[in-house]
Amino acid sequence: MKKTVDVSLPIGPVHPCFKEPARIKCETAGERVLSAEVELGYVKKGIERIMVGRPWQEVMFLAERICGICSVIHNMVFIETVERISNIDVPQRAAYLRVIVNELDRIQSHLLANYSYCYTIEHETLAMYLINLRETALDQLELITGARITCAYIIPGGVRFDLKQEDSLKLSSAMDKIEEDLSRFTAIFEGGPMISLRSKDVGILTRDDAIVSHAVGPTARASGLNADQRTNHPTYQKLGFKPVVMNSCDNYARVMMRFKEVFQSIELIRKCIKELPEGVIRGGGVVGEGEFTWIGEAPRGELTYHVKTDKYGRVIEIGIQTPSIMNIEACAHHMLKGVDSAADVTSTFISSDPCIACNER
Amino acid sequence: MGIIQSIKNKVRQRSIHVCYVNVGSCNGCDIEILACLSPRYDIEQYGIYVHNNPREADILLITGAFCEQWEDKLADLWEMIPEPKAAITIGNCPVSGCTFNRRGSFVNPPVSKHIPVAASIPGCPPRPTEIIETILQLAPLVFKDYEEKK
Repeated sequence: MKKTVDVSLPIGPVHPCFKEPARIKCETAGERVLSAEVELGYVKKGIERIMVGRPWQEVMFLAERICGICSVIHNMVFIETVERISNIDVPQRAAYLRVIVNELDRIQSHLLANYSYCYTIEHETLAMYLINLRETALDQLELITGARITCAYIIPGGVRFDLKQEDSLKLSSAMDKIEEDLSRFTAIFEGGPMISLRSKDVGILTRDDAIVSHAVGPTARASGLNADQRTNHPTYQKLGFKPVVMNSCDNYARVMMRFKEVFQSIELIRKCIKELPEGVIRGGGVVGEGEFTWIGEAPRGELTYHVKTDKYGRVIEIGIQTPSIMNIEACAHHMLKGVDSAADVTSTFISSDPCIACNER
Repeated sequence: MGIIQSIKNKVRQRSIHVCYVNVGSCNGCDIEILACLSPRYDIEQYGIYVHNNPREADILLITGAFCEQWEDKLADLWEMIPEPKAAITIGNCPVSGCTFNRRGSFVNPPVSKHIPVAASIPGCPPRPTEIIETILQLAPLVFKDYEEKK
C-alpha cells in the first residue's frame, strides 16, 4: 500500500506537556500517526568533554549534574566505578545506606514520571496527588543527605552522613505514609474508566520490538523483558532483589510498572532499615590508576560508566551511556507508530519517561 | 491614577501567567518549578498559573546555561510574549554557567547577554519557596501602573 501523508505534525520543542525541550515530528494520515521522529540537541552541554582531565573530586559533582531527576544514581555509578578501579572497599553500613538513598531517589523519579503521564492525559487530580506524595520522598532525601536534588551523598569508600536512630524512625513512618497513600492512588489509576480508555492498548511496544530497539528499564520490563541491572549489584543480591515484569506492553503497563516498582522500593528500604549493620560509614582509600566499566540501574534503565584514570586520580577518559536514548528510540520507531490521535502522541512519549538532559549531557 | 489603570492593577495582581523554558539545564531547576505546582507549595493560590505558552505569558522563567541551539530561538520566544513582561532566571547556570562553564563546553552564559533579565534566583537548584517568593516580589514592580509609568 502506498503511504499517504496528510500532515507533517511537529510537537515541541517548548510544549506544555514536556518537562524538557524535545521535538517530535510525526507524519500523519488524518490523525493516525504513520511514522515519527524525535529531534534532540536542545540541551547539549558537552559534559563528558569537560570531565576529561579533571580530578575525580570535580567529576563527581559534574556526574551528578548530568541529570537533576536521577542525580543519586549518576553519583553512585561513577563512584562505584572509581572504587572498582582503585580496589576501595565499602563498609557494609555505607553500602546499605547507598541502597536506601538510591531507592528514595527512584521513588521520587517514578512518582514524577507518573505525575507527568497523568498530567498529559488531563487527569489533574491524580497528578496533583502524586506530585504531593513526591514531596514526602524528597523530604526524606533531604533528611538523610541534606539536599533535595543534588545530594553528593556517595563518596569513594562510603557515604557522607550516618543515618541516626530518630531519622530512621522518621524514614519508616514516611514509608508507611507513601505506601498507604500510593495504594489509594494506584486504585484510582486502576479503576478509572477514562484512564483505561486513554492508556490501554495505546503505544504498544511488543517484546520483539523491545529487543530490537534495546529498550531498558521500566519500558522493557513492561514489555516482558527481565532486564534489571540491580540483579548484578552485590548489595541488592544480598537483599534478595527480584525485578517486577509485566506483559501487557502498553502505556497502562508502563505506568503500573512504575507504581509497582515504588512499592518494591519501599520494601527494599524497610529491609535495609531492619538489617542495617552497625559500623563505620567511611572506609578510606586512594583513587589510583586503571580502567573499568560498571553498570547500574537508574530509574529509567541501565546506566553505564566507562572511566579511565591516571595515577593522580584524574579522569583521562570517560564514556557514559544513559538509558533514555534507547527508550526514545523504542518510543519513536515502535510505540508511536499507529497511534490513533495527536493527543496520544504526547502521552505515549511521556509514558516511556524520556529524560532529555540525561541523553544529551 | 485612572480608573482603567486601577482595574488593570487589581486584575494583574491575581493573574500572573508563567511560561518556563529550559535552555540547557540538568532538569534540577525544572522539577523545582514543577514542585511549585504541588499542593504543598500551591503556586495557584497566589494567582500564578503555569501555562507554558509564550503568547499568553507575563513572566518567562529560564533555566539552564544557554546552549548553542537556543542562540536565535530564545530571542524569538521573548519577542512572542506580549507587554508587560519580565524574565526571571532560575539557578546558578543562567547567571554564570555553574559547573558547565568550562573551556570546551557548548554553553554561552549568562542569559542576560541575550534577553533582558529582571531577576535571578541563584542556587543549585533553588528551593520552590524561593521561586514563588521572587515571582511575587517582582510582579508588582513590573506590572503595577504599567501604562501610566510609560
